[in-house]
Amino acid sequence: MSVRSVFIAKERLKHLLITDRIQCAPDAVDRLSGDLYNTVSKYIDIRPEEFSIEITRTDIHIKYTGEKN
Amino acid sequence: MGEVIVITSGKGGVGKTTTTANIGIGLSRLEKKVIVIDTDLGLRNLDVVLGLENRIVYNLVDVIEGNCRLKQALIRDKRFPELYLLPSAQTRDKTSVSPEQMKKLVSDLREDFDFVLLDCPAGIEQGFQNAIAGAERSIVVTTPEVSAIRDADRIIGLLEASGIKKNELLINRLRVDMVRKGDMMSVDDVTEILAVDLLGVIPDDEYVVIATNQGEPVVGEDSLAGKCYEKVCRRLLGEEIPVTDFMRSPGLLEKLSGLFHKNQED
Repeated sequence: MSVRSVFIAKERLKHLLITDRIQCAPDAVDRLSGDLYNTVSKYIDIRPEEFSIEITRTDIHIKYTGEKN
Repeated sequence: MGEVIVITSGKGGVGKTTTTANIGIGLSRLEKKVIVIDTDLGLRNLDVVLGLENRIVYNLVDVIEGNCRLKQALIRDKRFPELYLLPSAQTRDKTSVSPEQMKKLVSDLREDFDFVLLDCPAGIEQGFQNAIAGAERSIVVTTPEVSAIRDADRIIGLLEASGIKKNELLINRLRVDMVRKGDMMSVDDVTEILAVDLLGVIPDDEYVVIATNQGEPVVGEDSLAGKCYEKVCRRLLGEEIPVTDFMRSPGLLEKLSGLFHKNQED
């Protein structure tokens, strides 16, 4: 079965909102995320899969998850 | 002191004017004294949706420029208990009025009315700035489409930046049959992505087109959209009415899907 159009709509919308909210080029979000990861990883022992950023209308949240064993 | 609410959206054609008209009528039927103001200078529409286009003598710009007294420009809608319209000017442009002048006008009006509803033009330019200048809360109208939601997000950001903290979403023209098939974003999808409080949901309903053709209200009439608009009005008055879960109620769903199939054949 083909992908329902709602999934495509949501992905496109989420991407648009992030670039609108920080008013940057689409690829800048990935670069920002990469730079923030590099900065955080200097201080915190972290793996890429534990790291994410969330951009809202007023904040940029840096999130990391998982216990370090 | 009345409450000043701007009805806005960013994108055009999502139902701001229809929403303003029906919330205005709905609140007046709930015994509130209401004024609806068309702030779209040059593209006057609210009078037509209300069916009052033949009664305009003076308009918003006449009031601002002092060509008439405020009371002379207000059109009383005799069909409803206490509903008044301040129409826009059809032949002037958006620079005829400044945000400061709108603020003053709105602060005068809120002395006399329980609700001042401002129908905002599309876009984010001066017309938008004028419409939001005197408002203390907003209703952001969107439809479940990528472009409309994108604009709604931008608008909410601009409203927050200008100090309007209470911004609530009204999702218009929801097609339950399409949501069920996975071809339209659901109420949850939209509210989750926008992260904003939900004021109400208006399902797509051909009765809205029919009523608008006739210059008649939708709210309070025996139609799906009419009932939903009435709930929106009651929520504005502080009643806690849950948003209808369109995805779960089977009786309603059957009715809805019948209605929508009819739509598709047209």
